[in-house]
Amino acid sequence: MLSVDRESILEVLMSLIIAFAVGTVVLVVLGYDPIRVYSILFKYGYGNTDYLLKKSTPLLLTGLAFSVPAIAGVFNIGGESQLYVGAITALLVAHYTGSAIPAVIIGTAAGALLGLTIAALRVYRNINEVITAIMLNWTFFYFIAYLVSAKYANPKVPHESVPVPPGARIGGIFFIAVLTALTYYYVLHFTEIGYKMRVSGVSPQSARYAGFSPEKMVLTSMLLGGAAAGLGGALLVLGATYTIDTTLSAIYGIGFTGIGIGLLGRNNPVGIIFSSLFMSGLIIGGQWVELKTGAPPELADTLIGVIVIALAVPYAYRLLMKKVGQRGSAA
Amino acid sequence: MIDEILVILSNTLASMVPLVLAGVGEIITERSGVVNIGLEGIFMASAFTAAVVTFYTGNPYLGLLVGLLVGLLAGTLHGAISVYLRGDQIIAGVGFNSLAYGLSLLGLVSLWHSHGSSPPVNKMPMLTVGRLSIPPLSIVAVLVGIIAWWWLYKTPSGLRLRACGEDPRAAEAMGVNVNRTRFYATVIGAGLTGLGGAYLVVGWIGQFTKFISAGRGFIALANVAFSNWNPLMAIVGGILFGLFDALAIYAPIKIQESTGRIITAESNLFRTIPYLATLIVVTLIMKKVKAPRALGKPYIKE
Repeated sequence: MLSVDRESILEVLMSLIIAFAVGTVVLVVLGYDPIRVYSILFKYGYGNTDYLLKKSTPLLLTGLAFSVPAIAGVFNIGGESQLYVGAITALLVAHYTGSAIPAVIIGTAAGALLGLTIAALRVYRNINEVITAIMLNWTFFYFIAYLVSAKYANPKVPHESVPVPPGARIGGIFFIAVLTALTYYYVLHFTEIGYKMRVSGVSPQSARYAGFSPEKMVLTSMLLGGAAAGLGGALLVLGATYTIDTTLSAIYGIGFTGIGIGLLGRNNPVGIIFSSLFMSGLIIGGQWVELKTGAPPELADTLIGVIVIALAVPYAYRLLMKKVGQRGSAA
Repeated sequence: MIDEILVILSNTLASMVPLVLAGVGEIITERSGVVNIGLEGIFMASAFTAAVVTFYTGNPYLGLLVGLLVGLLAGTLHGAISVYLRGDQIIAGVGFNSLAYGLSLLGLVSLWHSHGSSPPVNKMPMLTVGRLSIPPLSIVAVLVGIIAWWWLYKTPSGLRLRACGEDPRAAEAMGVNVNRTRFYATVIGAGLTGLGGAYLVVGWIGQFTKFISAGRGFIALANVAFSNWNPLMAIVGGILFGLFDALAIYAPIKIQESTGRIITAESNLFRTIPYLATLIVVTLIMKKVKAPRALGKPYIKE
């Protein structure tokens, strides 16, 4: 069932240790007390459950948006814009219809469509998905900033879009995200399409020999990934922020953080539930650190960056373990 | 009319510099078989350090030098991870982008207590050719492109480097040290990118801002694909993508002047131009290009 191998746990632990060690050095260099900063980070980061779950929801979903394609061999760095389009379409549908269900459906579909676009450009035009995704991220960033400030500005509140009407606001968004993660876990591990995706990711050649097209799996996985991010954007505006500000600070960066969350969860949807909670705590804690010590909240970005880099080198840990093992047996 | 063309040309030359330097650097790296998508992070880190050094010394050339050094250091890290630790190159690059962004902003806040931008710093003077003012580094960038082309295609060491990216096993059989070649190619590529990042501050904008890079690292990556991994074509690509950038800034100002209407929210629409245009150009051209065959795969000796 849930296969948690010792190597994965070791990699995750090592990456966290390295990250906090680097973070300590950075804090000392910049003149902050690392013990105080870390204790605030953990005390306040995980103190408010309700806020933690709300914060985790879109991050869990952008984590899935990264990992499901990653399993099929695609690097989806476009969770960012897939979440943007989910958020803006959900907001507009809620604004016009006043109800949540169509907003969620259309937001999810918008994310899925954008994911599919990236995949189609890779499959049919051979364009590296990283380039496409980043160009789309920035295009939609500015396009939505335009929509929010020029077309759908809130006449009563400056620097905000029109709000989600009260009738379309929803609660319990974290559980929708968890349900999505469990569904994706089931699809990946217990259905034929999931099996095909995993084979295509490990070896497109084998997929071709087995008689199915890895390209089709690239498309499918990006459809599923984009849908998750789009749903994340929809749930974010319908269940947490109820509006988008004109600088897009409410939605910026969630897709990028999702990459770290997917990797830390070892591309396993169940693992991603936990890694999203962990990373959200870091981000919330980072904001508290700023309030209490003046150290900027980008400490969280720094830690996440180091975690991701450290997760890129499993070979280094295997080498390390081998060395430690040899020394152990020699003694 | 002539004046307007000169303005656009001058802006194009200004924005082509980082795209050409990082693009040519990444071509050298990728030709050896290593992909570094951390260009955006290198831009951030070197732009920030260049701003710090220039702020305290008042010397933009020193800022440029430090930006180059930061680039070389970033390349050392990525080279070590990609070549010797056989890490996932894409993941390492993404991680580096996040790390460099975080560190630069941490530094920005603790040094200058600002969350958006640094104070203005000294800039390198522009060259004036007739009525056209051009940044001196645009000439350097073009020269770097030409020299890199000559090196990769006309010298034995360039051939050996390309062999590492096409068929590392055959290169090894020829007596090339694949891992060392790849490592140095990554360091050189990142160094050139660092030069481009420092230029953003000391050659162009005149201060460090949170959004100083704004996806330029990825446009430089698109330039690599556009150029078909040829440094001479990367110069052309840099001018083309630089022109999109220049138009995005120029068009709203021009419209504002001619209609008398103040454009605020709509300027966001114009800012999508460089990204959309890049995507369209790459879409049109991409079917015809060919990446180095062993790109992105660690070389494991038997």
